Amino acid sequence: MTDFIEECRREWKRLGVPDPIANEMAVDLTADIEEAEAEGGSAEDVLGNSYFDPRRFAAAWAGARGVTAPATSVDTFAPLERDRHPWYRPAIIVAVAVFGFLTALAALALLVDGRSSAMVGPIRRIVSVPGAIRIIGPGSVMPPFRSFAGSSFAVQNSAPFLVLAFVVLLGGVVILGLAVLYRTSWPRRESRRRLW
Amino acid sequence: MTQEDGRRSQLLRGVLDLCLLAVIGEGPVYGYEMTKRLRARGMSIVGEGSIYPLLGRLERDGLVETRREASNGGPPRKYYSLSSTGKQSLETGVEEWKTARDGIDRALDLVKVQVTP
Repeated sequence: MTDFIEECRREWKRLGVPDPIANEMAVDLTADIEEAEAEGGSAEDVLGNSYFDPRRFAAAWAGARGVTAPATSVDTFAPLERDRHPWYRPAIIVAVAVFGFLTALAALALLVDGRSSAMVGPIRRIVSVPGAIRIIGPGSVMPPFRSFAGSSFAVQNSAPFLVLAFVVLLGGVVILGLAVLYRTSWPRRESRRRLW
Repeated sequence: MTQEDGRRSQLLRGVLDLCLLAVIGEGPVYGYEMTKRLRARGMSIVGEGSIYPLLGRLERDGLVETRREASNGGPPRKYYSLSSTGKQSLETGVEEWKTARDGIDRALDLVKVQVTP
């Protein structure tokens, strides 16, 4: 019996039930169980199947008394999840997540291809381009800019750009992470099963 | 749990609060005493779940009032009694139950139950 009560107390403490109320519930429960045992019965006679799941029992009792936060209460009259979160919330979160993902992706691509000629000011030095001009791929040079391209292109000017790209990447990751965190922090719909 | 047990349990869940209000309506009573009275009336299935969360809900909803009284040698017990709202809720609930029961009886009375020895 003591173990059961102690387990309940731990659960009430975890749920933030005020001590006076937790003590009151523990005293009531102890008295009832002691009476049952004095009559030759057991704690199961008082608690039924709840005897085997003290944490759930404690949470259900505290929730029914309204002394825990709504998220931990087992309240069958609580509004449904869709009522608390209108339809457009998921759309906004998805949009933010997609934006964050794309921003991170773009920044990553720019970081990998740090010599992109489109983003960096041309070095005013004419270098001849040997061989065929590649249109796609790292180091690719579009025809209008080919006269500015070269193996040493942009190396000396890329530091600020890399910092900027890194900041954008970080921002994208943070936005994405926040969106995911916000989504996962939604309370799941409470089970309608309860302990009477 | 068999299908029959599950049905009994579901039926009880729907009216256990009413049964508790009825027991409390007989006079101030504490938790375990209620369990014993319900069992004495054939509601042994009450052992499947504890009545404490339900009592907590009745108290939160203002259907019962509580006070502490000394018991025989033990710690003070929490006695439950009906509030005026609880009395109204009990009367309404009993009417609803009777209406539902009569309808169900009319539907099920058509079934010829064959009892095998």
